[in-house]
Amino acid sequence: MATYVIRRLIQALPILLGIAVISFIIVHVAPGSPIDKYRTPRVSPEQLQNLIRMYGLDKSLPEQFFSWIFNFLQPWQTDGAGNHVAWGFSFSTGAPVWDRITERIPATLLLMGTALASTVVIAIPIGVLAAVKQYSLADKVITVFATVGYAVPSYWLGLMLIYTFAINLNLFPLFGMHSLGKTDPLDVGWHMILPVASLTIQQVAGWSRYMRSSMLEVMRQDYIRTARAKGLSSGQVIRKHALRNALIPIVTLLGLTIPTLLSGAIITEAIFSWPGLGNLGYTSVIDRDYPVVLAFVMMGGFMVIVGNLIADILYAVVDPRIKY
Amino acid sequence: MDTTVNPSLAQRLPGEIDEVDLIPVRTYWQMVRRRFLRNRLAVVAFLLLVVLIALALIVPTLTGEMYRKTSLIKPYAGVELAAPLGYDDIGQNIFLRLMKALQTSLFIGFAAVSIIFTVGVSVGAIAGYFGGWVDNILMRVVDVVLSLPSLFLVIMLVAFFGGGNVWVIVFAIGLTGWTTAARLVRATFLSLREADFVQAAQALGASRFRIITRHMLPSALAPILVAVTLGVADSVVTEAALSFLGFGISPPEASLGNMMTNAINYMIRQPLLIVYPGVTLILIVLAASFLGDGLRDALDPRQRAEG
Amino acid sequence: MTDRVKVKEIRTGVSETQDDLIEVKDLRTYFPTQDGVVKAVDGVSFEIEAGKTLGIVGESGCGKSITALSIMKLIEKPGRIVGGSIKLDGFEIVNATDDEMRQIRGNEISMIFQEPMTSLNPVYNCGDQIAEAVSLHDDMGRREAHNKAVEMIRDVGIPDPKHRAKQYPHELSGGMRQRVMIAMALSTDPALLIADEPTTALDVTIQAQILELMKALREKNKMAIMLITHDLGVIAEMADEVVVMYAGKVVERSDVNTIFAQPHHPYTHGLLASIPRLGERHKRLAVIKGVVPNPLNLPKGCLFKRRCPYAMPVCDTAPPFQQLGPNHSSLCWLTADQKPPAIGANASGVIAEETAAAMSPSK
Repeated sequence: MATYVIRRLIQALPILLGIAVISFIIVHVAPGSPIDKYRTPRVSPEQLQNLIRMYGLDKSLPEQFFSWIFNFLQPWQTDGAGNHVAWGFSFSTGAPVWDRITERIPATLLLMGTALASTVVIAIPIGVLAAVKQYSLADKVITVFATVGYAVPSYWLGLMLIYTFAINLNLFPLFGMHSLGKTDPLDVGWHMILPVASLTIQQVAGWSRYMRSSMLEVMRQDYIRTARAKGLSSGQVIRKHALRNALIPIVTLLGLTIPTLLSGAIITEAIFSWPGLGNLGYTSVIDRDYPVVLAFVMMGGFMVIVGNLIADILYAVVDPRIKY
Repeated sequence: MDTTVNPSLAQRLPGEIDEVDLIPVRTYWQMVRRRFLRNRLAVVAFLLLVVLIALALIVPTLTGEMYRKTSLIKPYAGVELAAPLGYDDIGQNIFLRLMKALQTSLFIGFAAVSIIFTVGVSVGAIAGYFGGWVDNILMRVVDVVLSLPSLFLVIMLVAFFGGGNVWVIVFAIGLTGWTTAARLVRATFLSLREADFVQAAQALGASRFRIITRHMLPSALAPILVAVTLGVADSVVTEAALSFLGFGISPPEASLGNMMTNAINYMIRQPLLIVYPGVTLILIVLAASFLGDGLRDALDPRQRAEG
Repeated sequence: MTDRVKVKEIRTGVSETQDDLIEVKDLRTYFPTQDGVVKAVDGVSFEIEAGKTLGIVGESGCGKSITALSIMKLIEKPGRIVGGSIKLDGFEIVNATDDEMRQIRGNEISMIFQEPMTSLNPVYNCGDQIAEAVSLHDDMGRREAHNKAVEMIRDVGIPDPKHRAKQYPHELSGGMRQRVMIAMALSTDPALLIADEPTTALDVTIQAQILELMKALREKNKMAIMLITHDLGVIAEMADEVVVMYAGKVVERSDVNTIFAQPHHPYTHGLLASIPRLGERHKRLAVIKGVVPNPLNLPKGCLFKRRCPYAMPVCDTAPPFQQLGPNHSSLCWLTADQKPPAIGANASGVIAEETAAAMSPSK
């Protein structure tokens, strides 16, 4: 297994390289240049030249690419003051990109982690219930909910929630992560409820469908009939035999949703003004803050690769038929 | 009685019909159509989509620029005959605007899907048919594109290359979304490659292009069709998300996404403003989902996960 | 626990009743579908004595598997047993509760299935799956149950049983998997083993081994076997009594020698005639023309008449279940020497119906 993981990571390198090349090209082919906002009458040509040199924009594209990627792959480099400079500096704030990103990670992790956990806890029992009592009222309700929930765009749902609960009923805060001046976790939790709810509802819709169809698939198998023929009760058959098999694809789904932790964050964080990574990505694109944008894309790509790898590893762990 | 061959067993009594003759013969596509039509949900979904597309095509064409006309006396005016949904904050006719938004969103959806279809099917077919190193390289490319955070990438592309430009949006969505279709087609082709009828065609001397297009593609059609249907829904949702975030279509042009953005500001005064585009979007996705499910069931009922 | 007699006493010689081990009378299991009711099993009757082997033979779709599943009450909705009786040593199964059935399944009656590849749960190892059956029905601790599992694996002829017990189903060959299934079924010492096409999915050589194994275990445990198959060779090897089924009905019933030596029903003839034989030269293989009737569109009267070379107009009326000998019955109008019935080949209507009723023993 260890060799498999190493092999996969090595295979990932060309992919990361491809991602780097593509994003670098996009960023540099795009019309406009990062120093455009400095082209005002107040800035002298020499100052412009200095800026160009400082940002390394006077070197050729391949040179820029290699110097960037070389540094990028060593994020642990620090300068004398302990700043992580390898990822460059943000064009918007001047702060090291590394800092800007890492300070946002906890907020996003909190939001997404809670949403993921809630989704798993709710969707799995619902899916199992719908499968076991197929065609019953419960099944129909769940299926309808899942289908509609899947169709509802998350931002619309978020807005609806805000409207109902925050504006009309005034139960929850409108946006942000903290009320003014407060830092206690309870306050954060209160702020978290609506965004987590909006994310969870949408995810549950998708996951419960998966769980249901996986369960149905498993329950049609011959070994379920064997289990019944042995004299096991329905409950025992479901718990001991069906569930373990039905959860296998779900477990891999877990790994595959890791990348979406990032992109799902963009929209939700935008609506709820949640100060997380997604928000950062969003604003950096608007501001044409290329160093941050590039770092964001690379991180996103890396998370996809890691997510896939985790999914495959989990798959091998739960299914004895898979051996790497 | 001995058990050697009884000649009468092989004979047919006069006037007798063999059971086999009584089974009616139907072509594959006839059966597909029958199964599809029996699925009422899918049929309703299909009709709904037809209605939506018709509205999207007819209404804006008839009314032209009227969706943009603002008016100072009409803000928040209620429902009237010419404006079944009322007027918004700057006096625009909500219904007309919605129809134009529907047109834009659907157009982007379908256009993006055609890119997805063309690129995805070509890449998948070539990779699946030739296999070997061709397959390897193409799959690496697919891996790279897949690993890119798609929504963010679309945002990047649109923001950098010109927001508001419909074609930029179409290409951005199309170029990031073809990977699933490619994989589907490749998987089908890989398994079809060894199929007997393909080898027979090769033995007859058919050219590779002919084999791919006339023999293998029709079998791969089923999953492609389903993926395309769902792809339209996906693209429409992505476009709406883009416009919602401010990167896509901007006012005075109408898109389901930017109608929602605008509506946020007036949530207290005119809460319904956000409901209309949202519900329309939901209807599109629902209809596409059910249609996709129905197509999949009709094309291969064995694939049905539910009983 | 109701008034069911503990079946296991029978084989130690202490039998509390004179009943046969299994008595199926007029069993009817129907499946309602969108297009009509499918009568998968329609009036099937037979008995199985303790320690004897009954072979049920017939084409695919004739209802043999459904019969077996009905005995185990494993019929899935929307199918259900709509009539008849199934008695396990006097205990009525048809209206037994779930709890009662769970005592019986895997314990008094065990079943093995056709596809050893898919009949074992892929995520548990073989030892655990056998131990589960054991600990479910016999009061045993985990360690004891596991030891019993290893013992069973050895008994079914798998070498190195301790090691095999820890392996997963996908690590075993088809033949070995079927042995594990047999081990699992026999681990609770059942009175009856139902084997639904146990060797159909296996190679011919493995088939022979499995049959030998079943014979040996049958001797050792003195258990009855209900063997379902479409292979007459297997029947000849294993069965004491034979039941031939067609389209949900029993068409002939006898002991194994009579069936092969003096088959009566034209269908049985057809089955026997279609076996190719070495050493004989014929121009064509004999086949039974036509196909099994569409269950939603059954013919009136005898279900076999459209394929039968002896078909007569009287066959439009349901034939009697004639008793041709002390242990030989056949669902056909033909007399014992293959002639048209006494009432004539063209009889019909009420006369035919009443004659049929008179000639059939009260089912």
